[in-house]
Amino acid sequence: MTKKIFRSIMLVSVIAMLLGLVSVTGILYQNFGDQIYTELEREAAYLASGVELEGVAYLENLNDEDRITYIDGDGTVLYDNQADQSSMENHNQREEVREAAVTGSGSAVRMSSTLSEMTIYYALRLEDGTILRVSSTRASVLALVLQMLPALLLIFAVMILFSSAFAIRLSRNVVRPINELDLEHPEDSHIYEEVEPLLSRLYRQNRQIQGQIEAARRQQEEFSLITENMQEGLLVIDRYTMILSGNSGVARLFRVKQVKVGESVYALNRSEDFRRLIENVLEGRHQDTVLQLDGSHVQVIGDPAMDGGSLEGAVILLMDVTEKVERERFRREFSANVSHELKTPLTSISGFAEIMQSGFVKEEDTRAFAGRIYKEAQRLISLVGDVIKISQLDEGEVPYQWEEVDLHDLAREVFASLHAAAEKKNVHLYMEGGSAVLSTVRPIMEEILFNICDNAVKYNRENGEVFLRLQDSENEVQVMVRDNGIGIPKEDQERIFERFYRVDKSHSKAIGGTGLGLSIVKHGVHFLGGKLSLLSEPGRGTEITLWFHKKRTEKEGKESE
Amino acid sequence: MATRFERQLEQLHVEMITMGSLCEKVITLSARSILGYREELARQIFSTDREIDRKEREIENHCMSLLLHQQPVAGDLRAISAALKMVSDMERIGDQAADIADLSQYIPGETVCGEPLNIGKMAEYTVRMVTESVDAFVNDDLELCRKVIEDDDTVDSAFIEIKEKLAELIYSGHPDAKTGLDILMAAKYFERIGDHAVNIAEWVEYSITGVHRNGEKYQEISEG
Repeated sequence: MTKKIFRSIMLVSVIAMLLGLVSVTGILYQNFGDQIYTELEREAAYLASGVELEGVAYLENLNDEDRITYIDGDGTVLYDNQADQSSMENHNQREEVREAAVTGSGSAVRMSSTLSEMTIYYALRLEDGTILRVSSTRASVLALVLQMLPALLLIFAVMILFSSAFAIRLSRNVVRPINELDLEHPEDSHIYEEVEPLLSRLYRQNRQIQGQIEAARRQQEEFSLITENMQEGLLVIDRYTMILSGNSGVARLFRVKQVKVGESVYALNRSEDFRRLIENVLEGRHQDTVLQLDGSHVQVIGDPAMDGGSLEGAVILLMDVTEKVERERFRREFSANVSHELKTPLTSISGFAEIMQSGFVKEEDTRAFAGRIYKEAQRLISLVGDVIKISQLDEGEVPYQWEEVDLHDLAREVFASLHAAAEKKNVHLYMEGGSAVLSTVRPIMEEILFNICDNAVKYNRENGEVFLRLQDSENEVQVMVRDNGIGIPKEDQERIFERFYRVDKSHSKAIGGTGLGLSIVKHGVHFLGGKLSLLSEPGRGTEITLWFHKKRTEKEGKESE
Repeated sequence: MATRFERQLEQLHVEMITMGSLCEKVITLSARSILGYREELARQIFSTDREIDRKEREIENHCMSLLLHQQPVAGDLRAISAALKMVSDMERIGDQAADIADLSQYIPGETVCGEPLNIGKMAEYTVRMVTESVDAFVNDDLELCRKVIEDDDTVDSAFIEIKEKLAELIYSGHPDAKTGLDILMAAKYFERIGDHAVNIAEWVEYSITGVHRNGEKYQEISEG
């Protein structure tokens, strides 16, 4: 832009200078010519009066620089001060002479053969018809120009220098505000009226772009907020298996420090199942599989991402299904266990009944057989009862009322019912603590205490002891049952609350019970809103502690209704 | 936007991960097969070994074409040359795993299960070393590389232990000398696989730092 402005200014000034010089020269030349002409006219008039008085002799005595020619009426030259009149031709045909003969005065300009000089003639007719001609020679325009050329060029050069210096400054001054324009805030600068529309347009576009960036950023934030807060892992990859984005769930599920964008997804997991899944998804098929990653199960769902018919990449969703898989396994085990536990007594009942039906049984043995059938049936009933209790606690539908119960009395009843069993093994039952009244569901609480104490007696040794302590504080009641029995191995401690789980599977029949006791305890305590802890050491004994809040919380209240 | 060259490098990385994972698979399978030979297992091992061989050719071609067409420098050149070296170690792991599978049909599982000849334990170490060396490659983990290199001593000493116990046992006549030699060879293969895992770790280290351990050693020797 600077260059263009500079060039334009220079062009204009050169043209102006040239025109100026030419016209000045022309005008000066014209003026000069006019002046010479006037001088010639005056001189001719003066000479004419001289000649009229004194004749040719006047001319001969005259010493003049200009050429003076005296011509007779017929054109014969009578006198010339710069040439021999006798050798000169007739001047009748000369333009100025002819004109003077007709009008009284005439003039003409003639160029020399080289064009370097020009001669101005002025002729005046005297009263006697003779003509007096005065002429002056001077340099022509061309010669003048050639003569003045060095000076002119010098002037020209100087002027060019001046004007170029000026033009540079000027063009820089014009352009500077544009260069210094703050494009971030075009609305603040007011430089040229002509650029205003451009600037306001720029301003509008700036605002538009900012708005769009802001919108994109907000969208991005929303997206990451959603993905970061979801439990599942979300992974987006391109068709070369490069990770485009991945949330923190992915890192958590795959147990890596962070998901590196731009890396291959195989860096997260390179197991064969996962590789096959990715390959299939990138061939455009929906995939769903469960991966085993040291100890946890992760469900991987892959969907190809298509853009107008061509595959661009894939979206992969990861879910921790460990709990689900575990629950599934648990449920299967439970049904298998229940069926097995139900089948065992039924088989004996059926067997005894079959023998009796066939009539092989002696009269006196019938009672014994009936007794066995009765015992097995009782076992079945208690088992089914336990299963019903557990499912009720599971569902939270218990048809009992909440009431004020003194745990001290309840524990006493429990001890009383266990007295016979304890006596058999010579186990001593101790109790400590006074009355502790609590709002609770009596049958459930009784079941809990009974099962814990029952286990404490059952899994005790000869001459062992069971110690129950009640502690009544302001907010809660603590029940602690400790025995010095066989204890529970560390690896089994987590599982004893599972349904049908037995530490010693081989002797379960001899000890009796349904295998649901502690499971009922766990569910019951949970239902009553209490807490439970277990401390045990094999060979030293077991200590189970329960805590119950005295105030019923909202949740429990709702469940009881 | 990634350039073509970057894309190809990443492709190479993916192929290396795949091959590494095949190695992990084959060594895990062969560790299982030594403890209890099953034909199905052996078949799987042999087919994986063939796949590893194929993958090696593929990666070599890929590396050559990258070297010729892209003329990489610095880190990229190191990564490619390290990959070239690593695939031959990986291929050896595949071969030796297949050899172990071959041997394991002559070795009764109960002779090597538990003490005194605890090949199971040794196999476990080796599998872990291979997994960790591939992990180190995938994540450019320098620390893990050094761990793998140090872990080699455990496998070496386990081999020596097995060898000495085996000598005593063969002398006592149980197991018989033929089985004993097979066990020794299987143990040696595991030990060799451990060495290959170390090699891989060393090349990973080289591609990260630009310095290879052996180079250092030679320098020390020549300077000393």
